[in-house]
Amino acid sequence: MAVGVFGELLITAGLVLGLFVVYSLWWTNVVADRAADKQADKVRDSWTERTTGGPGALDTKNGIGFLHVPAMKNGEVLVEKGTSTKILNDGVAGYYTDPVKATLPTGGKTGNFSLAAHRDGHGAKFHNIDKVKKGDPIVFETKDEWYVYKVYAVLAETSKYNVKVLGQIPKESGKKKAGHYITLTTCTPVYTSRYRYVVWGELVRTEKVDSERTLPKELT
Amino acid sequence: MYGWIWRHLPGNAWVKAFLSLVLVVAVVYVLFQYVFPWAEPLLPFNDVTVDNQ
Repeated sequence: MAVGVFGELLITAGLVLGLFVVYSLWWTNVVADRAADKQADKVRDSWTERTTGGPGALDTKNGIGFLHVPAMKNGEVLVEKGTSTKILNDGVAGYYTDPVKATLPTGGKTGNFSLAAHRDGHGAKFHNIDKVKKGDPIVFETKDEWYVYKVYAVLAETSKYNVKVLGQIPKESGKKKAGHYITLTTCTPVYTSRYRYVVWGELVRTEKVDSERTLPKELT
Repeated sequence: MYGWIWRHLPGNAWVKAFLSLVLVVAVVYVLFQYVFPWAEPLLPFNDVTVDNQ
């Protein structure tokens, strides 16, 4: 009798673990994509609205723009402020505010636009980061501007404490001078969090958004 | 354990089967809605930022 109960408990534990995998790799994506779509719609709506508020007040609450990485084949990724679990779990990419503050491209200053997103679960927005190769475009879309970056360096594995990759001049990528850089970080290998995967790009050009929001040629 | 639950459910086999299904759904719901979201941050599978304490 006692053995039977023990066996049933083991079976139950196995089922719960199996369910946890389903939860992690499927359900969190469903929830995150739903949240991300909702917030993305809000951002798009606020862009098309006639601005009645203060002059050019940048609303960063619902995201500042969209990241397009054709090599990742996942459409557009909403970018929000911060890289806390709570923000990233909504299926968005977050720009760093800690430990190194990201420099937003919208300011026009040189610096590093550093971003993080989930590799698996919670939208898995950077799942295909390993498909991004040197020379691939990364496009950041804001209300009025397309920022077209080109990937110039990839670091397939680094320590999670390697904060230097976020530097305003990321030396590990081979750069020595100030410039307009973008850095994508996520975890690697897939399904674990042992190391970090880093992709660096440099701004090639910017393009004004026209009334039809015509995509830059990198995205067509 | 499962045998015990089955014996204590009321009604005939069909009612028991239906109630079992309801119980299973309820357990899965509680797991997905409360237990897993709580457990997930405690497990080292989903840290993506550098310098994650």
